[in-house]
Amino acid sequence: MGLKLKMDYLYDGSFEGFLSCVYQNYYEEKASGIYRQDSYQNNLLRSCRYVETDEIHAQKVYEAVASKISEQALKRVYCVFLSCFDGRENIALDYLRLGFRMGYSVDALHSHPVVFEAQRIAQKVSFEAHRLTGLIRFSALSLSPDKELLYARIQPDHGVLELLGEHFSDRLKGDPFIIHDARRGKALYSAEGQWHIAPIDEKALPCRSEQEEVYRRMWKEYFKTISIEQRVNPACQRRMMPARYWKNLTEMQIRRS
Amino acid sequence: MQIFDKLRILADGAKYDVSCATSGVDRKNAGRIGNASCMGICHSWSADGRCISLMKVLLSNRCVYDCEYCINRRSQDVARASFEPEELAELAIEFYRRNYIEGLFLSSAVDGSPDRTAERMLRTLSLLREDHGFAGYIHAKIIPGVSPELIHKIGMVADRISVNIEFATEHGLKKLAPQKKTPDIFLPMKQITETIADRKQLGISFRSYPGSVVTAASDLRYLQPEEATGLSLPPRGKYKERFAPAGQSTQMIIGASGETDRQIIKTSEGLYNSFKMKRVYYSAYISLISSPGLPPLMTAPPLAREHRLYQTDWLMRFYGFRADEILGEGNPFLDLEMDPKAAWALSHLEQFPVEINKASKEELLRIPGVGLVSAGRILRQRRIAAVRFEDLKKIGVVMKRAKYFITCAGRYYGDCELEPAALRNRLINGERCTDRLSLIGDGAQISMFL
Repeated sequence: MGLKLKMDYLYDGSFEGFLSCVYQNYYEEKASGIYRQDSYQNNLLRSCRYVETDEIHAQKVYEAVASKISEQALKRVYCVFLSCFDGRENIALDYLRLGFRMGYSVDALHSHPVVFEAQRIAQKVSFEAHRLTGLIRFSALSLSPDKELLYARIQPDHGVLELLGEHFSDRLKGDPFIIHDARRGKALYSAEGQWHIAPIDEKALPCRSEQEEVYRRMWKEYFKTISIEQRVNPACQRRMMPARYWKNLTEMQIRRS
Repeated sequence: MQIFDKLRILADGAKYDVSCATSGVDRKNAGRIGNASCMGICHSWSADGRCISLMKVLLSNRCVYDCEYCINRRSQDVARASFEPEELAELAIEFYRRNYIEGLFLSSAVDGSPDRTAERMLRTLSLLREDHGFAGYIHAKIIPGVSPELIHKIGMVADRISVNIEFATEHGLKKLAPQKKTPDIFLPMKQITETIADRKQLGISFRSYPGSVVTAASDLRYLQPEEATGLSLPPRGKYKERFAPAGQSTQMIIGASGETDRQIIKTSEGLYNSFKMKRVYYSAYISLISSPGLPPLMTAPPLAREHRLYQTDWLMRFYGFRADEILGEGNPFLDLEMDPKAAWALSHLEQFPVEINKASKEELLRIPGVGLVSAGRILRQRRIAAVRFEDLKKIGVVMKRAKYFITCAGRYYGDCELEPAALRNRLINGERCTDRLSLIGDGAQISMFL
């Protein structure tokens, strides 16, 4: 046999799909990379194969990561997977490979290039999710004269919708709500403490409730009033609350919205 | 009056209160709306760069007191308003549903009498908790002079309660708030600490300050830690409901009554030690009032000084420093050009350089440029592999400061002698480009203290 071609695995974009590829990497043939099928660039020097998502394989890998590496590694890999960086699957794969070799101590190898990269990305993702628990703004939409639906629009850098479900569905269990990730065209739907993620049709949303404008005005007035004139520090404000989030923040809309 | 105008007037009156923390309590939604996250959540940042997490308002700004420094004092000419408990509770819920806020911070001027004011505050909070089923965060301010029964009731509905000490010295309080008496401030603090201790909530509440074991406050004066005598309380029966689960905090005004930094941090240390405060907040005085006892109008707020005090506060709470180590006798003020840890290191050069691969956690934490996270990472990585000099940056150590104070595998990497004057120059000129606060502050300090 001559030159052995490199083997890229392709998957459907789901976390289970990614884990199925990791399974194949260990039980079939070593992967040279894992890529989403819909954004894969074919290359003459590499061969590729689509890996069907297999719930059982995914479950096996999921449990193996938790028990043979650590819960933290699982969380870290999941956050890397949710990030927006190109090649995130390969960063996650490298981390898992190192982890299966070293065990839980991989998490503490902070200066190893693979660990450093995964840690850095995972931190960005979980920080953005944390930030959004504060920066999401709901508007009350009118479902019927005495029933409201809360709707928020976000455009996060990373796919953090999954990380927000628990927090908000517990907090607002009396209010049905939708958090719309406008960048990815999907939304988190929640009612009575249960939530799921599905595509969204913006045109089907009801219109704003009558009271909405009143509370927006009060919130903006409060926001303006609470700042101390003698301490104004726009650089600090921008550092804490980057301008890319402003377009979905009620208080940063200067004109009437 | 419209609720819109009330909100404007009563938020304006509350904005000089600093605390906005929503941390310290983790709670699932046991009511109808709301939960609390232990790490705290900021919802927005106002134009002054301060975070907004709680809706911070006064219940009323009609005050019977006439404290020199206060914008709501009786003789001040400002618009006056009061919320009705019902309308404020509803407003808080509507803001909360829209995720504008993490909860409510409720304070008030002394409207009529302290007890009358506290009753109305309690009514508002009870409406929120009971009628609206609100399980989010509540911070309630205790007004000096409120009866112990009302303090207790407020503590049962709020997450955090605070009594403002206002000034670091008794002299300052006498001069600028003559109607507030020291016992009116320290008795409620003591009651809160004792109730929390009694309910054995201390394990959670007090992790932040590595001081002595639980001591009930023995003296109600402005006490120093060594004077606080040990008086541990015997544990009593179990309580189902928690009293102020996020603990108590307080606030001091900086730069209004001529106190020194040493007096401030000694008082803070005493507060942490004897009252087991979760936080002491510092608020740079903003001169809005013309009075012979106060700094002249237009004096810039001492922001740099406030910043250095917060850094020192952190050193005391998380880094194992005592106030006396940072500012000794005959050293009344913090160095505004340099952070207090670097300043401490420069006067203790005999303890440096420290070997990164051998130092204890306590020693690591005293290296300028090494923080809690990076110290933890160094310790964890050290168990698996030696830490090399080039690893430190990835670990999160600020090398432009740390490199002068460490060795890595026996080698020293600093590019100048371990000598105070030269190092000081390096540290300041390295920091100057990034640390804008110190630039703003210099001017402000000159007008106040020279």
